[in-house]
Amino acid sequence: MKKLSIILIVALSLVMLLSACGDTAEPTEEPMVEATMVPEVATEEPAAAEPTEVPATEVPVVPTEVPATEEPMATLTIWADDTRTPILLGLADDFLAEYNVELIVEDLGRVQDIRSQIIIAAPAGEGPDIYIGVHDWLGALVESGLVAPVDLGDKTDEFVQSNLDAFTFTDGNLYGLPYSSENLGFFYNTELVPEPPTTWDEVLEIGRTLQGEGLVEYAIAVATGPLYNALPIQTAFGGYIFGVDENGAWNADDVGLDSEGEIAAVTWMADAVAEGLMVETFDYETAHSLFETGQIPFLMAGPWALDRIRASEVPYAVADSFPDNGAPFLGVQGFMINPFSENVLLAQAFLTEFIATEELMQLLYETGLRPSSFKSVLAMTDDPDLKAMGTAGANAMPMPNIPEMGSVWSAADNGIALAVTGEQTPEEAMTDAAEQVRALIRGALVGMINLPGSYQDQAGCGAQWDPACPATGMEEGDDGLFTLTVQLAAGDYEFKVALDGDWTTNYGSDGAQDGPNYVLSLAADSTVTLTYDPATQLVEIVTE
Amino acid sequence: MPDRASPQTPKTKATSARASSSTITLPHLVRLAILIAMDASAVWILNRFFSLGYYPLAAATLLILIFVNIILLHRETYPIRWMLVGLVLMAMFTIYPIIFTTWVSFTNYGEGHLITKEQAIEQILKEKYLPETGKAYTWTAFKSPEGDYVLWLQNVDGDGFLAAPGESLTQPQPGESGVGEFDSKGIPETIEGYKRLNAILAATDQNLTQIQFGEIANSIQIRSPKEASELLPLYNYDLGQDAMISQETGAIYRNIRGTFSSQDGTQLRPGFVASIQFANFREFFVSPALRGPLLRIITWNFAFALFSLLLNFALGLAIAILFNDQNFPLKKLIRSLLIVPYTVPALLTILIWRGMLNPELGVISRGLENLFGWSPSWFTDQWWAKVAVLLINLWLSYPYFMLICSGALQSISQDYYAAAQVDGANIWQQFWQITLPLLLVAVGPLLIASFVFNFNNFNLIYIFNAGGPPMAGTPTPAGHTDILISYVYNLAFTASRGVNYGFAAAITIVIFFIVGAITLFQFRYTNMWEEVSENV
Repeated sequence: MKKLSIILIVALSLVMLLSACGDTAEPTEEPMVEATMVPEVATEEPAAAEPTEVPATEVPVVPTEVPATEEPMATLTIWADDTRTPILLGLADDFLAEYNVELIVEDLGRVQDIRSQIIIAAPAGEGPDIYIGVHDWLGALVESGLVAPVDLGDKTDEFVQSNLDAFTFTDGNLYGLPYSSENLGFFYNTELVPEPPTTWDEVLEIGRTLQGEGLVEYAIAVATGPLYNALPIQTAFGGYIFGVDENGAWNADDVGLDSEGEIAAVTWMADAVAEGLMVETFDYETAHSLFETGQIPFLMAGPWALDRIRASEVPYAVADSFPDNGAPFLGVQGFMINPFSENVLLAQAFLTEFIATEELMQLLYETGLRPSSFKSVLAMTDDPDLKAMGTAGANAMPMPNIPEMGSVWSAADNGIALAVTGEQTPEEAMTDAAEQVRALIRGALVGMINLPGSYQDQAGCGAQWDPACPATGMEEGDDGLFTLTVQLAAGDYEFKVALDGDWTTNYGSDGAQDGPNYVLSLAADSTVTLTYDPATQLVEIVTE
Repeated sequence: MPDRASPQTPKTKATSARASSSTITLPHLVRLAILIAMDASAVWILNRFFSLGYYPLAAATLLILIFVNIILLHRETYPIRWMLVGLVLMAMFTIYPIIFTTWVSFTNYGEGHLITKEQAIEQILKEKYLPETGKAYTWTAFKSPEGDYVLWLQNVDGDGFLAAPGESLTQPQPGESGVGEFDSKGIPETIEGYKRLNAILAATDQNLTQIQFGEIANSIQIRSPKEASELLPLYNYDLGQDAMISQETGAIYRNIRGTFSSQDGTQLRPGFVASIQFANFREFFVSPALRGPLLRIITWNFAFALFSLLLNFALGLAIAILFNDQNFPLKKLIRSLLIVPYTVPALLTILIWRGMLNPELGVISRGLENLFGWSPSWFTDQWWAKVAVLLINLWLSYPYFMLICSGALQSISQDYYAAAQVDGANIWQQFWQITLPLLLVAVGPLLIASFVFNFNNFNLIYIFNAGGPPMAGTPTPAGHTDILISYVYNLAFTASRGVNYGFAAAITIVIFFIVGAITLFQFRYTNMWEEVSENV
């Protein structure tokens, strides 16, 4: 008996374990099953149910003609944040009644949290049809194939152009339906400073005077992440992050962190810190508390901070422009479509027919308290602070949506921090930061000189024309020349010179960027020694 | 019961097997029935896994299932059943993740390479282009009760065309070929035999996008809720070359480490997960860009774990020894209060300390400022930041050592001390010769665990100052208080373009070997201590 009970326990726990597996598997199954099989279920179920079960007298009559009105034709799942979920849920009944499509809205918490979920769920086929996101995710999402283009059709004109631009990737496609934008505003304490300053030097001037009178501790403080939160200072001095090419697209090869303007801006900040007019640490809590308690007269903050600043009852106003007309970052939130969705067209139609309406955009504006991306709603914005922020952000720079931007944040923040603490001169700090960004963008293979070509499979590479294959990386000799020796079978081969493990910098047989391929014809199996001269960018071929 | 009681349980396997099969009893049958039921449900789950394409998970489940069956059905392995649940759980939650992590470390799984090759090829093949002669239209769909479709197409000039699959376009006027009256936009209200679909109904129809309307040669397909056009697939996948070939330009995009790239370096999006052999490991150890601050970070990592351990242990032990004295006043109350830091969640404690040390608002910083006119720059000076981290860790961990040391001290017999006093040993000699060696026997393994924990104490480092203040002049962003795990977290998840799971997995494996080596080394030490204890 004892044994039996033990077996039972073991079996039970195993069953529990197995059912636990079943549980974890369940959410994975559901969306797929629903999405793919619903049309069949709708038609099959009545047929299957009727004959097998007790005759029709018992069963509540299932109308065979209209299963469509009973069972939704399809489902549309949206992942949203906690603020927008209730609004979207409000559409569910209308949507179901009118088009017989069930709308499921899942609340994933904060907008930022949606991204990490999408990159796991979407490839596994478990993602939603539509999700909310921020425009600067685009680069990575497009590169990973996790966002589908959106066609707004004739509604395009109803959106603010800068917001649409933010959701347009370098390939020219629009990848989202924007609903709100946000940028920093320049807050000033109206009790201490009646008129907002027009230049950054004036900011310090006013701070100096007030500090002398013992009214304030500092002139200004910057929240966590100075690249974002002090961008209006950097742009005012001519600093920039990435240059733009002739088409207006971001150019990741032009990193502006060590540009003259950027260094001037960081120097200005370092001097302000050294003089005791700017707080040395970049900390959100510090900056906001100091402003709310009147210990600093100026603050750069976004719409997200309006609630707490208003609650603190500090007398404040938002200036219509930043000193020296500095430009803040523009962040745009919007709806994006998962390309793995079974209902891409339906999702598109839902966005254009149900989301891109004045009524819904107004609701999104009211609950989110961010300037709307919809022209007519934006025009009706009545909040004076949001209006001022919008005016000040007229020249705002959309956060670059190329994937390379991911490499910039911590490098730039570190550089600025090192400069203001006096650890490095602004010039050293920002040059290092720019180098860090360049190294991260080019990847770990910086400095590699390679000869990608059609011979590489014989040199031990997994693929032909691979500029990062370690087997064909050239070695530097004492004379400054790079050499590579390979054993090749008879035949015709082509190759090129590529630097840093990718094709961005590559030289052809004329020694010029993107030049023609080198051609190598071998009559017999031979040992080939290739020598590259960095000065001429040419390769010398010696066959034995 | 009957099994064990039966007289023929000899050592030889063959006879025992025969014996047990000859005596089939009720418990046997019940056991078998349960096993069969379990197997049936497991097979069902396996089936689901396979149909969903979770092959690795299905394989793992299958292995576990076979293992469970062997154990339960075989006489020799039957005793292992006691550990069955544990073994299965270990396989699922320890071994499977380890295998998975190892696999990931040899791939480029990360932002830009998140989906499978099949998914990527499918997406790329979906890309269409408009040939020079191609035309684009706006469309309205009509559906017959039989499920046939026709499209009403309008070109930019507003001319209407009727398109049915496989037939050439016609330009009927109202009344012709069943076409009803036009509405204000020039779209027929009705077409005989068909029902007009509104935008949403058309969009929900998954068949529509698949159908090619018009003549086969230049067929028209729907590509957005507004537009239908004579589109051709942009790429063709050549399996032999493992390459995408552009139909528009003829360019060849070969599969290079998970991205289809052409000779001039243009890459097709999206990329996909692909094996890159040892590249992740090589990147970590060989790349000058990453290697730069590594030595300093590892040095600090060891120093942090070691100093944390020594400080926390020393303080905990000191307090424990104080309270070990029977005559200490208010012993219980004070000891209870001292345990408080241990009961508050570490996350909150770190945040509170972060607040207290804040140079502008923090109690500690303001207090020091008022008293001495100076306070350390806890967040911007590398040495003070390191001190702060150690200090917070001390606050978090001393109660733990106080607790375990109190217990261990109780177990040291007072006879040793009596004997030592007779021999004339002073307090210090007693401590070094008796208390510490005997204590280390008991708490040695806990010290190792604590060292390993602190070696990877990501929470403290990351929440306090995210590894800051930054190091100057490093080739990659790094901070002075960064330990290996936080540095790698930054590299793999925030510093570059999005997440890089492959790289993170590779470094995880490296850290695993480092920690494993330390642990092994230290266990040798504790063995020595055990020998000491035998000699005492």
